[in-house]
Amino acid sequence: MTDLAALSLAEAASALRAGTTTSRKLLDACRANRARANPEVNAVIWTDDAGAEAAAEAADRAPAPGGPLHGIPLAHKDMFYMAGRACSCGSAIRRDFVPDVTATAIARLGAAGAYVWGGLNMAEFALNPTGHNRHFGDCRNPWNPDFITGGSSSGSGASVAARFNYAALGSDTGGSIRLPASACGVTGIKPTQTRVSRFGAMPLSFSCDNVGPLARTARDCAILLRAIAGHDPKDPTSADLPVPDYEAALTGDPRGVRIGLAETYFLDGADAAVVAAVEAALAVLAGRGAIVTRIKLPLMDAVAAYGGIVSRVEASTIHARWLRERPGDYATHLSARLYAGLGIPAPYYIEALGRRGPILRQFGAEVFGQVDLVATPTIRTVLPTRAATDMDSGPPGTETRFMAVSANTRPFNYLGLPAISLPCGFDPNGLPIGLQLAARPFAEARLLAAADAYQRDTDWHARLPPVTAP
Amino acid sequence: MDDLLPATEAAILRWHGIAAPNDAASRLTAELAPLIAAFAALRGTQGFEDEPASFEAALRATMDPAP
Repeated sequence: MTDLAALSLAEAASALRAGTTTSRKLLDACRANRARANPEVNAVIWTDDAGAEAAAEAADRAPAPGGPLHGIPLAHKDMFYMAGRACSCGSAIRRDFVPDVTATAIARLGAAGAYVWGGLNMAEFALNPTGHNRHFGDCRNPWNPDFITGGSSSGSGASVAARFNYAALGSDTGGSIRLPASACGVTGIKPTQTRVSRFGAMPLSFSCDNVGPLARTARDCAILLRAIAGHDPKDPTSADLPVPDYEAALTGDPRGVRIGLAETYFLDGADAAVVAAVEAALAVLAGRGAIVTRIKLPLMDAVAAYGGIVSRVEASTIHARWLRERPGDYATHLSARLYAGLGIPAPYYIEALGRRGPILRQFGAEVFGQVDLVATPTIRTVLPTRAATDMDSGPPGTETRFMAVSANTRPFNYLGLPAISLPCGFDPNGLPIGLQLAARPFAEARLLAAADAYQRDTDWHARLPPVTAP
Repeated sequence: MDDLLPATEAAILRWHGIAAPNDAASRLTAELAPLIAAFAALRGTQGFEDEPASFEAALRATMDPAP
């Protein structure tokens, strides 16, 4: 384990500003850990070592820091376009696709001073919650390679947990940031729908796609989210609202913040160890002055039914051409799921979209009139193994286990609400457990502040997985 | 529901020109039945004026007045 790579992003950026380290040293530290850990976790699809070295040395030669992320080496889920560089989207179909645009989120991180050293493994076309990938090999959990990393941003979660990447962009259509954050023991935030530009990010669902960071701490997420959030003329769906200084909101003081543990839906079939960890986490926040209660949520049957089809229909529509022309180039379970989505009638889809606004209004009025944050487990069961959730070869019951992984994250995509996952313990198998907090639209600062307050009193986020051992 | 699978597969072929790529696709298509039941349970909840474009307005309407 190299100490420089164990720093949080905020600590690394601070060390650079203070002149106590260099970008090249940070890059080399991450690279050393990558060489040790990646053969076990398989989080990386491509690297650009020469380009990263040049960027690091340019950053170190700069007379003054170029931004809050000046000199920070990063790698991201391989679905964020960079002009002229192949972007696989975790697939065989797009293995050689070379975009001619750069994703706004990548460009904004670059403008803040960060540079890219690689592209990370992911579920094929961001379409599974486990991290299985037939084309590039499954990404494997740094805490135990037999277990899933969560998906679809599997390499993002695993690389950050394995301490060879300070942070990574992920995408979240049904939980794809929060699930790997939970499974790998890192922090990840899905922003409010429209908060971050999707320009140049592989599309999966027009209505539910989000871009956001996975990092070691809530503070790191705050720094990254501020860098990438805000209106983008290239993405007309992005919200034209001011971007707060999220880091300034991290006061460590949650006094008076009302947090409701969701009793409806989110605990159905939950494992006792997971519930106990979440309740213990809320007790920590209560110890800092948060007001913790339990809350019954309205409309969850509608949220589950409608939320279950919007992204499914949109993904099937986007993939129809390749389903027609290249069905054998998908993993079996993926072509099967996409095909079945074509059977959902258009009026169902329109009903789900038409009800989305009214449901959000009613949900918001009833829930956020009582609490400021809704708390749930990110994944309601103990983490399953890769074998038990392999849709192409798993035992009976595989699909049930597969779908259960994202049961607690999908509702917040339909509702468009911001939600964060942070580590809050370990299950009996030694795999991380995640606490999910959700808030009103555009209240990311409140989420980050609560998560940061929790991380001041706990060290779950700082624990090192076995794969980091020298 | 017995005719759900052949009827749906025929519709997908007719409307999209796509045949089931594998057995798993047929199995998952047959498993759309619970979705029909879930939507049936929600019948009557859709408002006459509900329309998809209201969502972004709802996001803003649900914001914290002082985030």
